[in-house]
Amino acid sequence: MLELRNVTKRFTGIVAVDGVSFQARRGEATGYLGPNGSGKSTTMKLITGLINRTSGEIMFDGERIQNDLTAYKQRMGYVPEEPYLYQHLTGLEYLVMVGQLRGLPMKPTAERIDGLLRLFSLGDDQHVPISSYSKGMRQKVLLSAALLHNPDLILLDEPFSGLDVASVLVMRSLIQELAARGKVVLFSSHELEIVERVCSHVVILHRGKVVADDSIQRLRILMALPTLEEIFSQLAVEQDTAAMSRAIADLVMA
Amino acid sequence: MTRIQFRVLYREFLFRVVDLEVLAPDGDMSKLLGQFAGLLIFCSLWLTPIAGLASTADQRNRLLGMMLMWTAQHFLIATTMLAVGLFAVMSWESTFPDRRDVLVLSPLPIRARTLLFAKLAAVATALSITVSTLNSLTGLLLPFGFASRGGAMHVVRAFGAYWITQFAAGLFIFCLVLAVQGLAQLLPRQAFLRISSWLQTGFFVLMVTVYFLQPPFTELQDLLANARALRWVPSYWFFGLFQQLNGLALPQLAFLAHRAWAGLSIATGGAAAAYLICYLRTLRRIAEQPDILPRRRGLHWLPPFGDSLQTAVAHFSVRTLLRSRSHRVMLTFYLGIGLGLALYISHTPEVYERASSFGDWYRLNAPLLMASAPTMCAAIVGTRVVFSMPLDARANWIFRMMPGADITRCLAASRRLLYALSLAPAWLACAALFFWLWPWRIAAEHLAVLAALGTFVAELSLFHFHKIPFTCSYLPGKTRFNMALVYLALFLFVTQWAADREMAALGDSALFAITLGVVVTSAALARWRTSAAGHSENGQVHFDETPDPAVITLDLHQDGVTTMQ
Repeated sequence: MLELRNVTKRFTGIVAVDGVSFQARRGEATGYLGPNGSGKSTTMKLITGLINRTSGEIMFDGERIQNDLTAYKQRMGYVPEEPYLYQHLTGLEYLVMVGQLRGLPMKPTAERIDGLLRLFSLGDDQHVPISSYSKGMRQKVLLSAALLHNPDLILLDEPFSGLDVASVLVMRSLIQELAARGKVVLFSSHELEIVERVCSHVVILHRGKVVADDSIQRLRILMALPTLEEIFSQLAVEQDTAAMSRAIADLVMA
Repeated sequence: MTRIQFRVLYREFLFRVVDLEVLAPDGDMSKLLGQFAGLLIFCSLWLTPIAGLASTADQRNRLLGMMLMWTAQHFLIATTMLAVGLFAVMSWESTFPDRRDVLVLSPLPIRARTLLFAKLAAVATALSITVSTLNSLTGLLLPFGFASRGGAMHVVRAFGAYWITQFAAGLFIFCLVLAVQGLAQLLPRQAFLRISSWLQTGFFVLMVTVYFLQPPFTELQDLLANARALRWVPSYWFFGLFQQLNGLALPQLAFLAHRAWAGLSIATGGAAAAYLICYLRTLRRIAEQPDILPRRRGLHWLPPFGDSLQTAVAHFSVRTLLRSRSHRVMLTFYLGIGLGLALYISHTPEVYERASSFGDWYRLNAPLLMASAPTMCAAIVGTRVVFSMPLDARANWIFRMMPGADITRCLAASRRLLYALSLAPAWLACAALFFWLWPWRIAAEHLAVLAALGTFVAELSLFHFHKIPFTCSYLPGKTRFNMALVYLALFLFVTQWAADREMAALGDSALFAITLGVVVTSAALARWRTSAAGHSENGQVHFDETPDPAVITLDLHQDGVTTMQ
């Protein structure tokens, strides 16, 4: 189980994440939602250990991740929000490098890479530099790299970005499948419809603070709203969206 | 509208002469540009006394004085051409609109003509700044000494002749590079991109080699006797042009000035044609075709470099060096300096006097011993510098996330890589040369010293290198360019002294054993120091270059009372 206890992150006085606490349990996919700038990606980076928290604790399976960050990183797979990859490497070379960096055994890893490339339809392009890949193909490389070592904790920051419809459907099922097989899956997305279908549990963040942390079913009942989109609008969207769009159109056409 | 567009684009292109992505998050572009300008002004500061002394020395002997002055004039022109040439090669990517320019600007209502003129103006400005800063002091002071006769009018004429010549020489070399680039653009775009990196590297080597190997002259007879050879050396054309403009041209050398004018016309015409080709063909092609065609076949295997992390780091680094043009060019720059120094040392007058024929190279000689050191050092230092320049710095998150990437293992990987990519090839090249030239025993003894020297330099260069090659962002300001010439002079002095000692030791077994022992011990100490520095750190590999603090705290609090923990 992944657990955040009162985690805060400040950047030169600006509070990006403010006392965030929630749990992501094994066997369920947890959706992490919030408007732009609410602190989702910062939280993801805190959980990966890419940046250090200002205060609070992050625990995985009852252990503080800082106690043995190396062991923790061995059990974690991460897909970042932006598909930053070494573009001069081919897809195959990149995945081999990740396998080597993780210290995975050579032969089974090569077989796993081959399988992932084939299943993600990247087999024909495995010797092509990543610079020639489309955004969706890069996303598939990132996903393959995140899953290569069979992690217990899977962190997905906007994993559907740039994927075509077929790939989104595969990814959706994959997240459910991984969760069903006992992985801890935490993923953030703006695609509320997908989150509603995939996740049983959501955490909604607004201005760095958790404003909802419950199952979607219970949130629907508690807030007496039929969809996650409406729940999200109620909790995390401050503006009157209709009025705002009218104002923009008025401004442009004035 | 067009004027505003031109201004905006001009400013954008001017500040993109240097790749912004290389900078660390805290990096300051103006600081980096200021540093380049500082380097050029510093070069000017060094050139002024060198050329000034030469131009004013021994006025009693009129002929000798004139020859020294001419040598100084030629040296300044050749140096400007070298600096501009290197600038042209370094800014290879910036001189023509690239894919990013086309994709970002095409949807906007901007004419291709405006884009091209803005690019041209930015390049011209950068070129002017390079020539002006490099000649900032020499161009103000030396025309007084270069005037054909006393009197204000002659000084003004020398002043004008100096600046016209320097700008013409700079323009010639810059346009020449542009023209060749333009010709290459006639090839299919992918072929152009592939050949482009080799052209860039070729230009680098060519310019440095020509600079150091151009025929020298110490007497007027030399100059006149070499007239046929001078026809092919552009720096002498512009030397002839300066004489013509300054009113001092010898009739025998008038052809040089004609060559300068002709060369300038051809180069500028070629550059104009290059831009026309770009305007008519390349802009459209950039949008239509991908930058690099995927290469499906090729050698993918690389040897292991230790454990899996070290192998990953090493393979990543080798592939980066093989595929990144900017890194290859930077490495070539250092190799060019090393090659140039080696050529310069082995062509000193002393060697000329002693080696009347090529056969004399087969005898043991100090200049050749000395020349092997800069080759080795340039390869090592160049590779180490290139390691510090990141590629896709934002993609380094994958290394940050990896378990077990500690300094000790990363340092071991960097060390093996540095040895494999620089020390070993340079040593093997020297081994081939020395075993061919000299008896095997002398060659083997020198190569043993050279290997120990290479290890010493490699270990020194890795001191406090707590990074994975090509992954740490670069923060300009830490490289002390202004000290480069001081270090170079010191290096040459020490190398000459060491070569003389080694020369004496090579014939004496006991002395050789002592010499080798000293160098090997130094290398071992350097290695121990570098490894110890890695162990003493907190084990974190650096991914962001951090600036030195403006204020160094002493951790003293409460009016000088140290806090008790």
